[in-house]
Amino acid sequence: MALLTPYSKIPELNTATVLLVENEEQFQSRLADAIVQQEKDINVNVRLARKLPLPVENSETRPRIDLVVFIVNLLSERSLQAAESSLSHLGPDYFLGKLCFLVTDARCGAVPQERLLSVRRLAASHHCPVIYAEHQTEDGITMTAMRVLTILKVSAGLSPVATTALYLSTFTRCTFPSDFDED
Amino acid sequence: MDEQARAILQRVIRKIPNKKLQTALRAWDHLSSEQLESLDYAQPKWLFLENLISRCEENRLSLKDVTKLEMAYYIDNPSKGTWHAYQLFQAEGDAVSVNFTQFREQLKAHLKDVVRHVSVRTKKLEDGAVWIRIAWGDNFSKPNHLKPTYVVHYLQTSYVFVLNLMSKHKPFLYQALLLSTRHVSIKEAQLSSRSLTAMRDLLMRQYQQVFPTNQERTLKERNAPPSHPSIEKEHAECAERRHQMACEAFGDGVLPKLETAVYKLETKYRGNSNNTLNDKDELFRGVVMFSSSNLLESFRHCVSAGMAEGPVTPLLSSITQKGRNSFVITDKVPGAASQTPAHKA
Amino acid sequence: MATVKWPHFFHFSAPHSVVNTPAHRPDTRRSKSYGRSCVEPPSLFWQTPGHLTTLGHRIPTSRRAAKSHNITTKVDPEQVALLIKNEWKLSHVTPLYRFRHTQLKLYSKHLAAFIIAEKQQGVAVEVGVEAGFKVTFSAVLGIAETKEDAETVFIQVHSKPLFSADTPKAVWRGWLTCVNGDPEYLRSLPPDFVSLPLFCSSGPEYLTALVKSWFERTFDCSFGSLYLNSTMLNWLAALWTGCHPTSNIRYLKLAWNMPSQPPLDIAYTVNPQDAWELWNSIHTEDSTDDRINIEEVQLFMNGLEIHFFRHFKIYLSAGTLTKVSTALGSAHHDGKIKIGSSDYITTLLTLLTECALMKTPV
Repeated sequence: MALLTPYSKIPELNTATVLLVENEEQFQSRLADAIVQQEKDINVNVRLARKLPLPVENSETRPRIDLVVFIVNLLSERSLQAAESSLSHLGPDYFLGKLCFLVTDARCGAVPQERLLSVRRLAASHHCPVIYAEHQTEDGITMTAMRVLTILKVSAGLSPVATTALYLSTFTRCTFPSDFDED
Repeated sequence: MDEQARAILQRVIRKIPNKKLQTALRAWDHLSSEQLESLDYAQPKWLFLENLISRCEENRLSLKDVTKLEMAYYIDNPSKGTWHAYQLFQAEGDAVSVNFTQFREQLKAHLKDVVRHVSVRTKKLEDGAVWIRIAWGDNFSKPNHLKPTYVVHYLQTSYVFVLNLMSKHKPFLYQALLLSTRHVSIKEAQLSSRSLTAMRDLLMRQYQQVFPTNQERTLKERNAPPSHPSIEKEHAECAERRHQMACEAFGDGVLPKLETAVYKLETKYRGNSNNTLNDKDELFRGVVMFSSSNLLESFRHCVSAGMAEGPVTPLLSSITQKGRNSFVITDKVPGAASQTPAHKA
Repeated sequence: MATVKWPHFFHFSAPHSVVNTPAHRPDTRRSKSYGRSCVEPPSLFWQTPGHLTTLGHRIPTSRRAAKSHNITTKVDPEQVALLIKNEWKLSHVTPLYRFRHTQLKLYSKHLAAFIIAEKQQGVAVEVGVEAGFKVTFSAVLGIAETKEDAETVFIQVHSKPLFSADTPKAVWRGWLTCVNGDPEYLRSLPPDFVSLPLFCSSGPEYLTALVKSWFERTFDCSFGSLYLNSTMLNWLAALWTGCHPTSNIRYLKLAWNMPSQPPLDIAYTVNPQDAWELWNSIHTEDSTDDRINIEEVQLFMNGLEIHFFRHFKIYLSAGTLTKVSTALGSAHHDGKIKIGSSDYITTLLTLLTECALMKTPV
């Protein structure tokens, strides 16, 4: 089984690539549009996928992927299942600050609480952040694109702030549900 | 106009929504344009009816004319109930030469042979559809015009569509249809819908079908370029394959507007391998009903969006391939030739 | 809590004591903060914490199996019959401030006056003719299971016809209940608060809105619509199926909605005996305390979904479970229920109370 690895390819100058994984393929293309439209300073490539592993045919043309974003639509159980099963196709280096989860519909009253908790547990156990996205308004999408870009720049080494792992770990802590140890 | 004609007229007018009244009366073509102009279509129904009756009486219209109004309304608005499809089998040698006049005369004659009081009205439309309105009576009672049966048949095809048929009248209609279309047997086609057009299109294959050839061409044609050069779809090919499979099973373009499909499952339990129910011989019975405002389009989208796994199961593709929407699914008998679960009528 | 207005009509003295409201308790645990104690860390990167409730992490993973018991031995059968008849729309309610079960007669008068006043607002009406509403509040004793549960309150709105010869017709019904509510939570409420977290209503929407608004003004509470998520519906499917040997469930009907275009509705009706056999192959009955685990519930639903998948190759998990129904009752995703049999009412209401409490911000 081919693992996706971040360091097997040489990075291109001033370029960052993000992989958006969403089983439903509903939100990803709108988010991708917002991401490429927003970023003017660096070259951002967006790859869209349903799940991992990625097709072998594209491996030659695929640039080095600096950040993987799993989009989980909380209204669908299958969305979570797909993200869970995709995790095992990621190389270990991604878990050092090159992975995040993005959930939609978290505030919808009809969402089972357990599903949101499962995502948070999943993210916490892999030490990666969860972004809660509003996907029904333009503003929400723009905001989400901004968040993804901020993380992307750090994980692609294009931000002068800090090293990836250190940087991301500072804010994964606040996504760690504080009630885990109580259970 | 006698009491019965008035009663039927009242019934028909009640059924027609206010804004469709004018079109319906115009299509009926029994009132002069001055008379049509003089009616106030915004009036309450009871008042409108009184005015209408007086116009009808001016023209000395009878029960026969009133039934024509009902028929005209049904022809324009066929989705007023659930239609059932029937299929004719074993055409005789002269079946291809049956023309409308012959068919009409024969049908009337055969029905009157078996039911003494029956009223039959027919009309052939431009698209070739023959509409038949049958009001049934019996040896002692006059035809009941309140609950007529409607039959639609395209001559030289093997399909008949029927609305409001009581089972006690079924044998009479069967026999009359067989004799007048020159066929040997007739069976229910296990297809029913509110939409007559959808059933017709489905059975007579009047929609864009896709065949598993020239896959490359459709692939390239449909593949929309990404909205931005730096966005790339990893699974574009898989998506295209799924779309192709979906179209092969359900068709391309606009699909017949079928609303429901029902499956009666009489199969053994097929769950996780570790469940003890797997080894049992008893059936796991259930009924599955799919419904949507356009079922075939929903299925096609489910498959192409990956909510259903391709290739499409024969259970679902049978809807278009066999032109049915009611199935009983049983496990195949060991040794039977069929690869898929058997479909029983 | 928000500031509490003190409506002037509370200065009535209680005329006759019908029920004791459990809020009259010494204030022992007032200072206990319930649920999450830590302050949410400042939101970095515009992260929204996605927390709706503090009870959220206390989702039970096992329940007692539904046991049939004849509720009419405890509760007035006529009152029970009223609960069974209708389809109820569910809401959740925050605790009521200074609600007294002893004042129900008074509330009846006030609510009736409120409805009439609201109906007349902005409309010129002949005085006296429009006095067409009568409201009755009554306590349904015996539905509550624990001593922490407040007694259920049933409200009926009758419209009085102009000609008094006709009997008043019930135009709206609703009730507030609490069955097996989380005892720790109920004990932690400050005094003077009564928690009846589940509100069921049946009748015209405008009357529901008026009743809600009267409660909100009078008892400083707030209502929100209650959805039944798929976990809750899964529980009900399993609990009801488990009842089949003692009480014929006649059918197990599950409905899903697939987000296709146009949307696809799938209704799967399973033979009750076969459904029970599947459940029986998953659930092992303990002789001592018959409890059901969430894992068993999930296995049961997965078992049905897999059987369906083997036939139609459609992933039901990509859609939403919208409805579960048996002869014992039905529950809809958008918060509508029907109670089919009074024998299992406690199980259903326990589940719904829990669901409502989970939505209550603390």
